[in-house]
Amino acid sequence: MSSLAEKSTAQVELQKAASSRKPRHTAFIIGFIGPALLIYLTYVIFPIFSTLYYSMFHWSGIESSKTFILFDNYIKLMTDSIFWKTVLNNLLLVVASIFTQLPLGLAMALLLMAPIKGIRLFRTVYFMPLLMSTVALGILWTFIYDPTMGIINQAFDLLGLRSWQMGWLGDSKTAFLAVIVTICWQFTPFYMILFRAAIAGIPDEIYESAKIDGASGWKQFWRITLPLLKPTIVTSSVLSVIGSLKYFDLIYVMTEGGPDSSTELMATYMYKQAFAKFNMGYASTISFTMFVISLIVAIFILTADKNRAQAS
Amino acid sequence: MKKWASLSIVSMLLLSACGGNAPTAATDSGKKDSGGTEPKQTAQTTQAASGEKKKLSFWYIETGQRKELIEATVQKFMQQNPDVEVEAVQIPNDAYKTKLSVAMGGGSPPDVFHSWGGGWLKQFVSANQVLDLTGKVNSESYVPAAIGAATFNSKIYGAPLAMSVVPMFYNKEIFAKYQLQPPKTYDELLTIIDKLKKENIIPIAMANKTKWPAAFYLMYFAEKLAGPQIFSEAFERTGRTFDDPAYVKAGEMIQDLVKRGAFNPGFNGLTYDTGQSRQLLYTGKAAMEMQTASYVNNVRNEAPDFEKKLGMFPFPEVSGGKGNISNVVGGVSPVFSVAAKSKYPDKAIELIKMLTSQELAQQFSDKTSAISAVKGVEYKDPFAIQLNEMLSKAGYLQTFYDQTLPPDLAELHKDTTQALFGETMTPAEAAKQMEAKAKEILKK
Repeated sequence: MSSLAEKSTAQVELQKAASSRKPRHTAFIIGFIGPALLIYLTYVIFPIFSTLYYSMFHWSGIESSKTFILFDNYIKLMTDSIFWKTVLNNLLLVVASIFTQLPLGLAMALLLMAPIKGIRLFRTVYFMPLLMSTVALGILWTFIYDPTMGIINQAFDLLGLRSWQMGWLGDSKTAFLAVIVTICWQFTPFYMILFRAAIAGIPDEIYESAKIDGASGWKQFWRITLPLLKPTIVTSSVLSVIGSLKYFDLIYVMTEGGPDSSTELMATYMYKQAFAKFNMGYASTISFTMFVISLIVAIFILTADKNRAQAS
Repeated sequence: MKKWASLSIVSMLLLSACGGNAPTAATDSGKKDSGGTEPKQTAQTTQAASGEKKKLSFWYIETGQRKELIEATVQKFMQQNPDVEVEAVQIPNDAYKTKLSVAMGGGSPPDVFHSWGGGWLKQFVSANQVLDLTGKVNSESYVPAAIGAATFNSKIYGAPLAMSVVPMFYNKEIFAKYQLQPPKTYDELLTIIDKLKKENIIPIAMANKTKWPAAFYLMYFAEKLAGPQIFSEAFERTGRTFDDPAYVKAGEMIQDLVKRGAFNPGFNGLTYDTGQSRQLLYTGKAAMEMQTASYVNNVRNEAPDFEKKLGMFPFPEVSGGKGNISNVVGGVSPVFSVAAKSKYPDKAIELIKMLTSQELAQQFSDKTSAISAVKGVEYKDPFAIQLNEMLSKAGYLQTFYDQTLPPDLAELHKDTTQALFGETMTPAEAAKQMEAKAKEILKK
């Protein structure tokens, strides 16, 4: 009993101490977070809710009159076959991004850390795609994929592989693959940078002691590098997944979602509904649904990671 | 055509375009709102100064040098009519259609407004929103096909200034080499295609990522098969529909062309604006391309040497079809009309006359290589001469579907046509989708 009472008084004292510190702290916190928070609230949080609001209207986006239709847009969305196609495309992009961009980025980072002569040049070369403007890059790749003049089909021609020649971006069977390759090409360097920084942060002592213990090469990688990179891998995955779910620019530049909406993503479909077809209400519905999907996925990954961290 | 050019810019600078779209809409609506309050102020100030001024509002979409020419004309009009004040508002092409519909619906239309003639203008005419200009403008002074786009039930509702037309451009050198003649019938065109194919030359170049270049074929096929009225009947819901057998047949002919290998591979993924189809012609890899009159302008900029090889012919007749070879797909832009609600219709008509004067049309063709919709313009440019001839002989001008239809339906028209070309949709399915959407949107 007495010990319990002591405990509770101790807690009260602690709380007192905390609350006495509080005013100074909150002023501090507000001072630092306030400006950023204000911008965040106005430009991120508020638009999310206004999107939800607009998604309940039949509205062209230009007219002043809106018709309140509650969830009719959402019901329409659920039966919209093109929308489901875009969701599927987005999921494909997520899978492709995680399973090509991350491993490739890691491989490139390891290569750059390896003691190979002349590797410094590649540090710049590998990084270049990330430095280019997306629009320029998209146009560049449309020329690479050009079925008649493009370097890919010309190369097949030279090698005598005429049957391998494709319409690439113009064929609804190959267009999405072609665009995914370009997207991966653009973003792999980003993950390379992340991994390189993380690898550089692993203390040399660990490797040295591993060497003394007789672990070398691949064993070092599997037992030391990879486990220590786990936090970076999780962060990269979240970035990659969210980025893929709301991806827009290269698709718009290279295919505009075509042909026959084979490369349409949720974001490009939303853009078309809003600015080409003047269905702003419906576009808001797509936009809000995108937000919900991204949120669910992000929460899922983060809790999964938390559970993993707690388990180990 | 400018719509597409601006669309491509939008695609290039998407972020800035998003940022740019909203403000223009905002300022435009701001202007519309202030339309109620502003006149009061000006009325008060001008009353004190020099009596009440007649205020005309004028909406147009021209950009660049054309915009400057129009502004200069408006200034001149105000000098000649000191009692009139013209508020000229330039509105981005993409937003214009919806904005005018809203203004008309809301009962506050501009006095003088832009259109492309055709079915779109007719919607407003049917709603008694447009002033009958019969007898008020001299119909004799305009090219028949142009004024025809603004004539409904033999009444004139608009005055045209410039035009565009879609011929088939071809490489004269290649045609001469294989002893080919510009075709008069569609069967002749097919023979040419097969011959070129055998010679390992791409018969027709096309870049269809933006979906409008391929739409020309659907428009031509439908018109050549079923006669010029098919589209207006389907659009106005007064007879044949978008799932008419002629539209299905047009889709079949498109897919037949694709199967024949008439086009360069992968055309649905190529960008017209970056020249991916034109370079096929410039390099002699392809022999033909169907495009608007602005093609000449592109050639001059990109491959001046190619100009001497460039020829053109009108889309041929389909045997057994109802459409004449002289009928062309094209567009009239701009057409200026007066709103029925205008307070000063006489002054508005005078402004229209000035905006479609021979003088301005001449400047338009000289400085911006436009085909004039006004008679009496002297063309100095050989292509403009030929294009003008094609147009002045035209018995019917089929306006671009995507400029004529409401946005949602126009997009579907382009989507289904691209899918037809990509062979991912059957002609019957495309026609069915169009008709279903038309029923939903046109509601008649």
